[in-house]
Amino acid sequence: MTLTGRAGLVAALGVVVVLIAPSPVPAVAGVCLLLAAAILVDLVFAGAVRPLRFHRSGERLVRLGQQATVELVVENPGRRRVRGVLRDAWPPSAGASPRELKLDVPPGERRKLVITLTPTRRGDRESVSVTVRSRGPLGLAARQGGHRAPWAVRVLPPFLSRKHLPSRLARLRELDGQHPALVRGQGTEFDSLREYVVGDDVRSIDWRATARRHDVVVRTWRPERDRRVLIVLDTGRTSAGRVGDAPIPLAGAPANGSSGLLVRPDTRPVPGWPRLDWSMDAALLLAALAARAGDQVDFLAYDRAVRAWVAGASRTELLSSLVNVMAPIEAELIEADAQGMVAAILSRAKRRCLVVLLTDLNSASLEEGLMPVLSQLSSRHLVLVASVSDPLVAAMAGQRATAEQVYDAAAAEHARLERRRITARLRRHGVEVVDALPEDLAPALADTYLALKAAGRL
Amino acid sequence: MTPPESASSTAPTVRARWRGVRWIVLLGLVVVLVAVGTVLFGPDQGEARPLDPADTSLKGSKALAELLRGQGVQVDRVDSVEEAAAKGPGRLLLITSTLYFNDHDLAEIQGDRVLVHSFGSLDALAPGVETEPDPARQRSREPECALPAATAAGSAFLGGAAFTGPSGSVGCYPAGDGWTLLSYPNAGGTTTVLGSADFMSNQRLSEDGNAALALNLLSTGKPVTWLVRPDEPPVGRLPGEAGRSVYDLMPAGIPWAVLMAGLSVVLVAFWRGRRLGPVVVEKLPVVVRAAETVEGRGQLYRARRARARAADSLRAGTIDRLTPRLGLYSGADRHQIVAALAVRTGEDQQRVGGALYGPPPIDDNGLVALAGYLDFIERKVSEL
Repeated sequence: MTLTGRAGLVAALGVVVVLIAPSPVPAVAGVCLLLAAAILVDLVFAGAVRPLRFHRSGERLVRLGQQATVELVVENPGRRRVRGVLRDAWPPSAGASPRELKLDVPPGERRKLVITLTPTRRGDRESVSVTVRSRGPLGLAARQGGHRAPWAVRVLPPFLSRKHLPSRLARLRELDGQHPALVRGQGTEFDSLREYVVGDDVRSIDWRATARRHDVVVRTWRPERDRRVLIVLDTGRTSAGRVGDAPIPLAGAPANGSSGLLVRPDTRPVPGWPRLDWSMDAALLLAALAARAGDQVDFLAYDRAVRAWVAGASRTELLSSLVNVMAPIEAELIEADAQGMVAAILSRAKRRCLVVLLTDLNSASLEEGLMPVLSQLSSRHLVLVASVSDPLVAAMAGQRATAEQVYDAAAAEHARLERRRITARLRRHGVEVVDALPEDLAPALADTYLALKAAGRL
Repeated sequence: MTPPESASSTAPTVRARWRGVRWIVLLGLVVVLVAVGTVLFGPDQGEARPLDPADTSLKGSKALAELLRGQGVQVDRVDSVEEAAAKGPGRLLLITSTLYFNDHDLAEIQGDRVLVHSFGSLDALAPGVETEPDPARQRSREPECALPAATAAGSAFLGGAAFTGPSGSVGCYPAGDGWTLLSYPNAGGTTTVLGSADFMSNQRLSEDGNAALALNLLSTGKPVTWLVRPDEPPVGRLPGEAGRSVYDLMPAGIPWAVLMAGLSVVLVAFWRGRRLGPVVVEKLPVVVRAAETVEGRGQLYRARRARARAADSLRAGTIDRLTPRLGLYSGADRHQIVAALAVRTGEDQQRVGGALYGPPPIDDNGLVALAGYLDFIERKVSEL
């Protein structure tokens, strides 16, 4: 049970009554008894909460940054009208609104309520409970009770880089179209024979076919197809660091200006997205592009154990299954186990494939983790390391007006130098490296993939 | 017909709730029972009332009162000035406390007077007696005087305060420059001022000559009016102009109205305090900016004024960016780089060499200047 503000108001009016009344003691007793009786009547005649039934429907998937609506149908099988408020409790980052809903269900009927979710974080969000407060006819007291009405909404990564997909697909078609004119390269496939036209490379004339026919015939080639791409996402501690500006504000980012008086206001820039989310964005663009190009895309997320594994998804289902497995992945605050990661890749990728490793070019962790075992990987597969660089470090390196800024710039310069050194070492091992700013990583990775494909290196 | 219970409800039923709280209720009941039993059947140990003729505790004085009665002295315990005055004059008035009494009303009661703990009221009750500024330690003291009551009793436990009196007074049990017992004749009888009266308490009565001194002082053949502190201090009932206190002027309904207002506050608190549903907790991912390690390194440089390291980093960064632009391979030695750079920028070779490979700057201004010059060289190379 619970009371309403009216009960307090009636008691406050009772103060006036007691002051005016000729004899105060009976007045106090009278007011108290009257109030108690009214509250009792309210509780008895309020609609029962316990027998209510709930049914849910609505969306189960939503992209981060978009809204989802979930409908809640309240059925009242009781004999009294249930009138009051209802709260559908979701975790804070689900962004459920409104917080409280007005409820008025006559006996034997049902009413539909709509809750709008604006999630601020990837992952699965579940409704915790539904609480109903049913007011009595006098509005002095209410019955209250909770119900379990489970519903889960999976918040998918937003895939913001899909805006780059059309231009990269056009590039892919271009590659397709221009390829027959190219000289045969390693990794290209024989496509067909056609008549020689002036301008064709004479080296591509197929003399045996020319001899069988009365025309000069050339061989045409097309870009390699049905190659394998394995996207590996490092979910270790280095992927938790936030970089860039968040295109969609995430839960956990400190709100500006709302800190208490005792807390020193944080003047530093608001953290952007974790590296993990930028990497996911790039991985999705690459997967979409590679699937269109006819390659087989597999996906592995790893830190010290396999966090997600998608293999053999068909071209049409690939993206949806990828966003589904990516949704609940969070950066674990542990050092990634590079040896285990390489072992997991080798055991899964039997044939030669393009291994795209999305990690941070952190010299300390790469030095101890990946470098010793890199040769195992690069001897059997083509390895591409993609990493998000921090625009804040670049900005720090550029500011050199005061002594303090110069010290910061020196630290930033140190970090960039280490990064360039590790990049150079990786390249010496025959590893392709993509190091780009957060917004540029996805298109840069796609371009590198297209370049590798054009060169027939897959 | 009752509708079937919904399986989804999470609100506890009355039975479940009772099952949850029954141990707490039981425990509360036991505590209340024990407390009530202790109060009802336990020994009556009220607050000790010092020098009360009805108090049997260590600080009380029932033993002395009984001794006096045994000698045929009438002892009347009173706790107000009105009662004391009603007993009439010609008695011995023992004043153990003046805290709640009007001194002037007390002074009007004629007869012998024994004053204890009444230093603030000496002006009215024992005019001419002065208190010594230094307090006297309480201990067993010798009488050293001609007062028969004291010399007969011998040493006694006295102290607390010392007094000097008007001419004609007799002082006993000296302490410092004064006396802890002072006796002098007044208009209606004899006034005796005592520094402390612990020798009259149940605890001390049997020691030294305490009992003898107390009996000598109090059994003068007159009945004793024993004035003690009232049981309940008359707080707020101090008589005003018309003899009416604040409470008398207040309408009778006010306390009840306050009670009612309190009830209203409780109801409002309950209304606001009841939550609509549970607090939902959520595990959020850590928020840490990737640049924090770099910032930390910068602050370390700053804190240690690590100019050499900072300069090394800046120079290494510049050289790393410039070598490919100058058409050199990454392993080129310093002479090649300096020479190529001097030719390319038109700067003095010494100066370029000093900036790229010279000794570290000696102060912060030098570091800022170095950073500026490195920037300048880089800009010049990229512009050409």
